[in-house]
Amino acid sequence: MYAWPHWLALVVMTPLAGAALTPIAALLDRRSPPWWALATMTFTSLAATMLVLRVFAEGPFSYLPGGWAAPYGVELRFDEFSAVVGVICLIGWMAILFSSRYTRSLPEFASDRSPYYYALLLLNLGGMIGFAVTGDLFNLFVFLEILSLSGYALVAVGGERIAEMAAFKYLLMGAVSSVLVLFAIGFLYGMTGTLNIADVTARLGALEGPTAPAAVALALLAVGFVTKAAIFPLHVWLPDAHAAAPSPVSAVLSGLVVKLGVIGMIRTYRIYYGAGLFDLTVLNHVLMWLGAISIVMGAFFAIFQEDVKLMLAYSTISNIGYIIMGLGLATTYGVIGASVHIFNHALIKATLFLAVGAIIYRTGYRTLSDLRGVGRAMPLTSVALSIGAISIVGIPPTAGFLCKWYITLGAFEANQPLFGFVLVFGALLIFVYYIRMVNAFYFREPIHAEVTEAREVPVSMLLPTLVLASLCLIMGVLGRIPLTFIEPGVVRLLAPLGG
Amino acid sequence: MEDAFVHSALPLLAVLLPIVGAGIVPALGRGSERVRHVALLTICSATAVLALWFVPGALAGDVREAYLLRVTPQIWLHLRVDALGVLFGATVAVLWLIVLIYSIPFMTDSHRLRRFYSFLMLCLGCMMGVAYAGNLLTFLIFYELFSILTYPLIVHEETPAALAAGTKYIVYILIGGSLVLVGVVFTFFIAGEQTLAAGGVLSSDMDGGALRAIFWCFIAGFGVKAALVPLHGWVPDAHPAAPAPFSAILSGVMVAAGTFGIARVVFQVFGVEVLSQLGVMPYVAALAALTVLFAAVLAVNQDGIKRRLAYSTISQMGYVTLGISLLGPGAAVGALVHITNHAFMKGALFLCAGLLSKHAGIRNVSEISGAARRMPWTMAMFSIASLGMIGTPPLAGFIGKWYLGLGILDAGRPFYLIVLLGGSLIAAVYLLPIIYRAYFGQPPSASARCPDEREAPTSVLAPALITTLLTIVLGLAATVPGSPLSLAQQAVDSFFR
Repeated sequence: MYAWPHWLALVVMTPLAGAALTPIAALLDRRSPPWWALATMTFTSLAATMLVLRVFAEGPFSYLPGGWAAPYGVELRFDEFSAVVGVICLIGWMAILFSSRYTRSLPEFASDRSPYYYALLLLNLGGMIGFAVTGDLFNLFVFLEILSLSGYALVAVGGERIAEMAAFKYLLMGAVSSVLVLFAIGFLYGMTGTLNIADVTARLGALEGPTAPAAVALALLAVGFVTKAAIFPLHVWLPDAHAAAPSPVSAVLSGLVVKLGVIGMIRTYRIYYGAGLFDLTVLNHVLMWLGAISIVMGAFFAIFQEDVKLMLAYSTISNIGYIIMGLGLATTYGVIGASVHIFNHALIKATLFLAVGAIIYRTGYRTLSDLRGVGRAMPLTSVALSIGAISIVGIPPTAGFLCKWYITLGAFEANQPLFGFVLVFGALLIFVYYIRMVNAFYFREPIHAEVTEAREVPVSMLLPTLVLASLCLIMGVLGRIPLTFIEPGVVRLLAPLGG
Repeated sequence: MEDAFVHSALPLLAVLLPIVGAGIVPALGRGSERVRHVALLTICSATAVLALWFVPGALAGDVREAYLLRVTPQIWLHLRVDALGVLFGATVAVLWLIVLIYSIPFMTDSHRLRRFYSFLMLCLGCMMGVAYAGNLLTFLIFYELFSILTYPLIVHEETPAALAAGTKYIVYILIGGSLVLVGVVFTFFIAGEQTLAAGGVLSSDMDGGALRAIFWCFIAGFGVKAALVPLHGWVPDAHPAAPAPFSAILSGVMVAAGTFGIARVVFQVFGVEVLSQLGVMPYVAALAALTVLFAAVLAVNQDGIKRRLAYSTISQMGYVTLGISLLGPGAAVGALVHITNHAFMKGALFLCAGLLSKHAGIRNVSEISGAARRMPWTMAMFSIASLGMIGTPPLAGFIGKWYLGLGILDAGRPFYLIVLLGGSLIAAVYLLPIIYRAYFGQPPSASARCPDEREAPTSVLAPALITTLLTIVLGLAATVPGSPLSLAQQAVDSFFR
């Protein structure tokens, strides 16, 4: 079943085609877009499942559209890191289900706007999937633009003035980073005469003459992707954008879109580790330090937020810091921890944003002091939120603990114990915020009648939240699954280092 | 090495029973309170019976093991019941049962009882997990869980003071927990192994700097929970804020969990030989001695009864750490036995303090004058437990201090004998005036605060009486097989083999 080669093409094409057809579906029936989007994502998830099963059974594989061989055809390549597609589908599906009710009853989604919302969401998901599976540098850039442009629009879809400002800021930073990536791809093409990632790697390794342009390309790629991943101090676009967007969109942006910057970084690493052109120690040290600074600064800013969504946005910066630091440690345990956290943080952050979204949807408030007592009014949602918060702090045995354990092990492996300390204590800072949240939700007297009278959200919103929350717990216990899955990929990524 | 390994599901049952119970209790509570109480008592008694069931086996040197879960190749959970674990587990389960019996009448007019009992049961399960943890990671997981699950119990009253104390508690504890985590990861990285068994996983041919770093991570991490001065800041605030029954647990076994962790690390992660070569223990001993005296001196000046008792806990836990840090068999026996004996003595004191506060409105030492006339039973129990705490023979407190004193002389450090006696002397200074005032002080004039200034009802007196009787029995029957002393000796024998 999973050996059928065309799943790889379908997984990219389905959401993109689905996006294009959404407005037509809306013309036929005004209420159909959410269900159309859900059907599209269901099929995409099926394809993604097949792909993940295949890569687990057979290792990485390629697909050549139309049968054109690599230098001419545009190769799609699915490896262990591409398995992020599975998470993209899962969270995309949950976000769309959550949105189906959300868009129907909120004023900012006048019915004529809702089809475009779903089209943009599908486009964004399709762009991410394409980015994760492409084996071609130019396609990488194209998909980066698809996911970025749809991202800007999705932030603005809320329609408030602050959302427009946030989207504009996001657009500025995003466009600059895209251009940097494009420049770098141009450099690489100029040097090697090819755009296929495997070919670029091989030819770069055999390169004669000055290596400076390759170094410049590396620097440009690194800065570009690190900006997309919102690493301090290039994070300034993130908090407002993620806080201003509608909550399901925040879940997608915070849980998934920033991770694609990390995937881009991993792709860059594969080219340069594979080429073996120069020693990457300097870059690794820079990433390690940037990661450490992000962990601390993200958590530090998060503590002082009154707005729950802003706090979650800052905690994303902190968590991306873990991942980038794990990559920079460049040891097996460190990179395994980072890769697993790409997956686990997506689950956790989506849980948190959906739970907060449900609370905002019912009460209309979003600051801690306004939300006092909501834990009693909406018990299930609040439990989901608590599970997410405990996971994000990395309390064992939740999903977040795996990353703490492995990246800290990786820090010792790299002989950098200081970074292990930074990671463990950065997580503590976030917990301080969580204590404020628990106090407000459960132990303080409510000040608004809307909060005490709030009911649980309808099933279509509650179900995704609870499913994701239970995954936060389950993936902590079944940590072996993502770990054994990603290990060969990590070993292959780091292999040329040893010799 | 221990004599025999028995694979058994019973340890798992002891951990899971209360945790599952915590899930059932809120569902039952909707119908009738009576059903809920019966269910709670059944679960808690079953856990206590299980915990005591392990005692004969542990005395014979058996070790029960249960593998739980291999999460990843580097992360696995496993339970392992050795003599040390049995000692602590039995202490926890029995004290918990007594406190539960006390809570049911004591807490009736409090709010959010379902939350209170659920978290109480969850904490019991996690504490049993701490006692029976077979490797460092399992220990850490249960240790972190119970530390966090304690939070709703500390802030139960939901007053601003309770919330502030709770925040202080959680910040201290999580910093400690993180240090322990770093220590666990570092140990695992160096040794590739983390099973807790006599002899230790680290050996002295490993890098000395790394070993020292691991050691201080563990000591500082567990030191927060064990309230080693200067890491003790949360203790005096958390105890008065928590409801009285929970203060008894907090003081009796939760603070002790920190010293229990130190014992595990010293004897089963490093091992006696490695540590004596490393030469770090004298510093810990000095710190512990400072804790004993410093906290005792601070206790003298506290007016709040629970606050004074909290400082006394810090001081008493200093004895335990001191005993462990001398690395001698006698001192270690004294330390381990004192964990158990202190739990019941301090339990009795806090339960009495709860009665004083609830039935006579007395929260401060300055208000206690004449209380013995109104509440003779309560004050009698308070007096016996106080004498035990000071270390009067033949009460429970004496046993630990006796062995500790012998161990100190064994180790050739007579200076610590002065600390030991000085601590007891100051304990007399901060506890005896309470008793003196209660018996001989002038009761307040006719405009008394509390209308029903009579003795507390039997239902709450009985559990307090059990702890008081235990204080006497554990002292008198210390040499009977199956007593805490025999278990502690069995555990220490395996460490010093």
